[in-house]
Amino acid sequence: MEIKQVFKNLSEASGVSGYEHGLASSIQEGCPWADESRTDKLGNLIMLKKGHGTGPKPKIMLAGHMDEIGLIITKIEKDGFLRFGTIGGFDQRVLLAQEVVVHSKNPLTGVIGAKPPHIQAPGEQSKAVKMEDLFIDVGFDSQAEAQKQVSVGDLVTLKRDVVDLQASLMAGKSFDDRAGVAAILECFRLLAQVNHAADVYGVATVQEEVGLRGAITSTYGIVPDIGIAIDVGFGDSPGLAESDTIKLGQGPGVAIGPHVHPKVHKRMVETAKEWNIPYSLDPSPYPGGTDAYAIQVARGGVPTILLSIPLRYMHTPIETLDYEDVKRTGRLMAMFIAGVDNEFVEGLTCF
Amino acid sequence: MKTVIQQLTEAFGPSGYETEVTDLIKEMVEAYADEVRTDVLGNVIAIKKGSQEGRDVMFAAHTDEIGLVVTFIDDKGFLRFANVGGVSVSTLVGNRVRFAGGAIGVIYQEKGAWKDLTLDKLYIDIGAETKEEAQKMVRLGEFGIFHREFTDLGNRLIAKAMDDRIGCVVLIEALKKIQNPKNTLYFVFTAQEEVGLRGARTAAYGIDPDLGIALDVTLTGDMPEAMRMEVALGKGAAIKVKDSSLVVHPKVKDLLVQLAEENSIPYQMEVLERGGTDAGAIHLTKAGVPSGAISIPTRYVHSPSEMVDIRDVQACVDLVVALAKVDLTGIC
Repeated sequence: MEIKQVFKNLSEASGVSGYEHGLASSIQEGCPWADESRTDKLGNLIMLKKGHGTGPKPKIMLAGHMDEIGLIITKIEKDGFLRFGTIGGFDQRVLLAQEVVVHSKNPLTGVIGAKPPHIQAPGEQSKAVKMEDLFIDVGFDSQAEAQKQVSVGDLVTLKRDVVDLQASLMAGKSFDDRAGVAAILECFRLLAQVNHAADVYGVATVQEEVGLRGAITSTYGIVPDIGIAIDVGFGDSPGLAESDTIKLGQGPGVAIGPHVHPKVHKRMVETAKEWNIPYSLDPSPYPGGTDAYAIQVARGGVPTILLSIPLRYMHTPIETLDYEDVKRTGRLMAMFIAGVDNEFVEGLTCF
Repeated sequence: MKTVIQQLTEAFGPSGYETEVTDLIKEMVEAYADEVRTDVLGNVIAIKKGSQEGRDVMFAAHTDEIGLVVTFIDDKGFLRFANVGGVSVSTLVGNRVRFAGGAIGVIYQEKGAWKDLTLDKLYIDIGAETKEEAQKMVRLGEFGIFHREFTDLGNRLIAKAMDDRIGCVVLIEALKKIQNPKNTLYFVFTAQEEVGLRGARTAAYGIDPDLGIALDVTLTGDMPEAMRMEVALGKGAAIKVKDSSLVVHPKVKDLLVQLAEENSIPYQMEVLERGGTDAGAIHLTKAGVPSGAISIPTRYVHSPSEMVDIRDVQACVDLVVALAKVDLTGIC
């Protein structure tokens, strides 16, 4: 299967933080280039592509998170409507009138209800509806009926198919960060064709959206010499300042900032130039938001970099990206990896 | 069990100063555990050995309680203070505080509107008439706790520090009941949970368990005009699905539900939208530990009058006992 198709399937599948177990097998099947793969105790999928040659090999970890933000049932109301909270940071403005899947023992389709405009109070439309006022309607006619099929703690995902837009642009849910996972697969595909000394661990991490949790434990287990986190970055769109965004269709953002090792950054930029891979410089002053931070501070510290795939409308069900950027990100990583040897790794400790 | 609850909730133990509590616990568990040890952060670890094919299970309940720390003594002998853990202004005014050295005082507010009240507008009056006199009674940096006695209402009990001495009680009572467990059990009475899950973090690193289970209080939504939450007092042990610190491993959650059903233990599902537990620290230890939590439904958490229902506490004990025996192959 083409990686783009694997990516589409992943986007349409469900895997809220902590409940990613259904995704690992599709990713594994989509990655025939790995020499071995395993799932760790928290559910991180770790795929290894072994380096060439004998003797000690540098270890490079690639991390893209496979979890998505979602909803969770908090209460079943007397009339059978379902109240919910969030797992991860949803934009609550976009939840109204969405179609959802309630992951009870048998998955159920539901809708997030909305008050008709005709009977809204003056001024009501200019305010976003609060999460606590929203509810899911699965069609139950009583609490008892609902309780037979749904229980508090059941997860909910948005129901959304991927659509192709003009050129190679696509829109759908959970591109954050299954696009990062797709970039890892693109990288592995290319690694099968190039000579590389390093052992490469492609990790589809879990629970990034609730606190980089999968990256914390998987990095501890792998003990990499270099870490590359692949996540999505704010794509350009009307109303956003140019300084806050990276442009779609112009390759990944290559981060520079406190959680990026300067020598890894330098080599990444050199690699992009050498192989004519478009990229944007992505100043990243705040270290907290991606797996890169969890990797950087694991064990005795790991030289780390973040690559960001430009993505519009983050944390909505119509996240939009240019698939060419996913491929470019994969290619940039593959070419970077091809250039890493023990000498480069040793040099990372000298500032 | 009520005697144990009274003894532990009335003991002094703000985060970092849990010795009075842990001394009591060590005495209580000694006869029932195969080994009891204390680590450098003050965690007490009681071990009950299991069979060869069993797994290592870490249970955690924290011994510390929220409190106050003296930051300043003014010329007239009044104290200013900072919080230790999540202390809310609304629970302080008019309440009494007891310090490590035994001094007792009342907390009150400067003049001003209630809605503008912040911690720095409160002071403690320990009855001293001068700075010098106050300095003899307390020291800068001395920790204090709510000064409040245990009250027995029948099924419902009120005390300070139910969070999380009641979790400690669950573990102690379970330990008393368990004989020849399948799994090796580490009952860890953790330090410093209220200031960032600190004891559980180091204890889990040292133990490196196969499975982690926290016993802690959770909020309820069954009071007048309360926040929306399905958990209620008297409806059984709360099996956690998620909180801010943890998404419970689905296999662990399903196992706890299965055990509750098989053993006819009353239970309810818990989705806690704010707050965390020791399981949050345990599951991120080393290369990861599948973890979950059994919660004791508690009203008025972090106030001097936290209320639990003894039947829920019993249900939690029963669930811990059931977990001790179960075959964990395929789970962790």
